[in-house]
Amino acid sequence: MIRSLFSIFRESTNSFEGQKDDENIVLLLRRHPFTIYIRIGFYVLASLVPIVAGVMFYSYLSIHGRFDVFFFLSSIWYLGLWLAVFHSLTLYTLNTVLITDRRIIDSDQHGLFNRETSELHSNRIQDVSTHTNGMIETFLQFGDVTVQTAASEKQFVFHQVPRPDKVKDVIMQMTASKHTGVKAVVQ
Amino acid sequence: MPFLEIIFNILVIGLFVVYWTVAFIILYHLTRFGIGIQPKRFAAIFMLGSLVLSSVAIILFTKLEISAFLTQMSQ
Repeated sequence: MIRSLFSIFRESTNSFEGQKDDENIVLLLRRHPFTIYIRIGFYVLASLVPIVAGVMFYSYLSIHGRFDVFFFLSSIWYLGLWLAVFHSLTLYTLNTVLITDRRIIDSDQHGLFNRETSELHSNRIQDVSTHTNGMIETFLQFGDVTVQTAASEKQFVFHQVPRPDKVKDVIMQMTASKHTGVKAVVQ
Repeated sequence: MPFLEIIFNILVIGLFVVYWTVAFIILYHLTRFGIGIQPKRFAAIFMLGSLVLSSVAIILFTKLEISAFLTQMSQ
């Protein structure tokens, strides 16, 4: 019972809303973790604020016996920080690109109530290109993938995805298989 | 109970209400729209951490001698 309850944290079928019966997910992409590490680093620094304040005002707090106020305000600070961390993590997690054997679904979560979802069918893809910019992106192997559809339509840009070359290959394989009718084997 | 103390208590209760409203929205988004294992793990960690931190904040709030503090501040 408990084992099955916790199984959702170990195994998941990566299913999504609007998935067709015989549609399979080939790749689930999120931005490279480096992008969220920077924000987390900022929050880690912010978590030091009450400690620094406590050290700085220690004599004042002990003279006036106001440690209760200090600890309470610190707990409120950490509550706010906890919320901010998971707000960022939520936006990071929900910013996804789904590549299925039929289409590409780009979901951009700009805010908790600001979401943009774009869909592109494999047979409309004309060109795929990658762009790695700078030293960090080169070393950590992440960059932008641009998918070009018919000339009059807009470009799809997937920002800062890990291993953009592999993503490009997968999309090209999916497109080729859609045109030739031969099922692609993704490694 | 002095007026300032009542205001302070209302503010703190309001803060907790806002916190748990936003927390609910985050949990809902992670569990409802999240794809894969990662959002579920984040939701579980967030829920657990929120409960612990809220409990700590409530305990510290009950131990707070706010009337003495407000008197000290007004002097």
